[in-house]
Amino acid sequence: MSFLSRSSIRQAFSLRLTRGYAAKSSSAERIPNISAKGTSAAAEEKTLSSCPPGTILEGLNYLKGQPPVIALPDDEYPSWLWDLLKPKVYADDGPGGKAEKKRLRKENQQRIKDQNFMKTQ
Amino acid sequence: MSKALKAKDQLVRILVPAGKAAPTPPVGPALGARGVKSMDFCKEFNARTAHIEAGVPTPTLITVEPDRTFSFITKTPPTTYLLKKTAGIEKGTGRPGHEVTGTISLKHVYEVAKIKAKDAHLKHLKLESIASTVIGTAKSLGLQVVP
Repeated sequence: MSFLSRSSIRQAFSLRLTRGYAAKSSSAERIPNISAKGTSAAAEEKTLSSCPPGTILEGLNYLKGQPPVIALPDDEYPSWLWDLLKPKVYADDGPGGKAEKKRLRKENQQRIKDQNFMKTQ
Repeated sequence: MSKALKAKDQLVRILVPAGKAAPTPPVGPALGARGVKSMDFCKEFNARTAHIEAGVPTPTLITVEPDRTFSFITKTPPTTYLLKKTAGIEKGTGRPGHEVTGTISLKHVYEVAKIKAKDAHLKHLKLESIASTVIGTAKSLGLQVVP
């Protein structure tokens, strides 16, 4: 599903800028991708990963005699990998659907946190 | 569940360095208390982990039956251990979310997830889900995950 609606996810994503605990650099990297829009694979692949292919990933060869694990080129990794750090987008299935429930829950939790904070002031 | 069981199997969860079993402090009392000869366990454990680099912490689950026979299962190294080795850090932070100890790429996350996917208790999960949990563990160590 995520593969089919990738462009729609990108468009939905561009409407709300992500913050992300992880890396301001990641959102800075992705903004030029989104403004380019479309599904031009060539433009996206160039800036997908900060880890260049051929980097040795230490410590992951924990078996005896295992050769060091090396980073592969970006396109040899599954496409869902690059969406892992983005906020998870749920397809809008109308009122009472999963997307709405998640959104309402998040808003309620945030409201409670705000109220709790205000009580300490 | 049959009610004819007189005593239950005892489960012991222990983190043992691969290839180096038999020390008194960790393994000895834990097993000795249940009536298992630690030498037997250590010989078998070292034989089964011979293909793993020495010293890598290996979580094991030992089942001790009422008649004092035992069997055990070994699992892949802890995710925190793998992440700390990849990022080159010794310890995670005491204040995750506030302090950053290092940076890790999604490619590292993918490889760690591939290792963890070999575990029997994670077999039913998609690699994508396992990778998400690895990212969560990285956050709790204070590691920043970048694409």
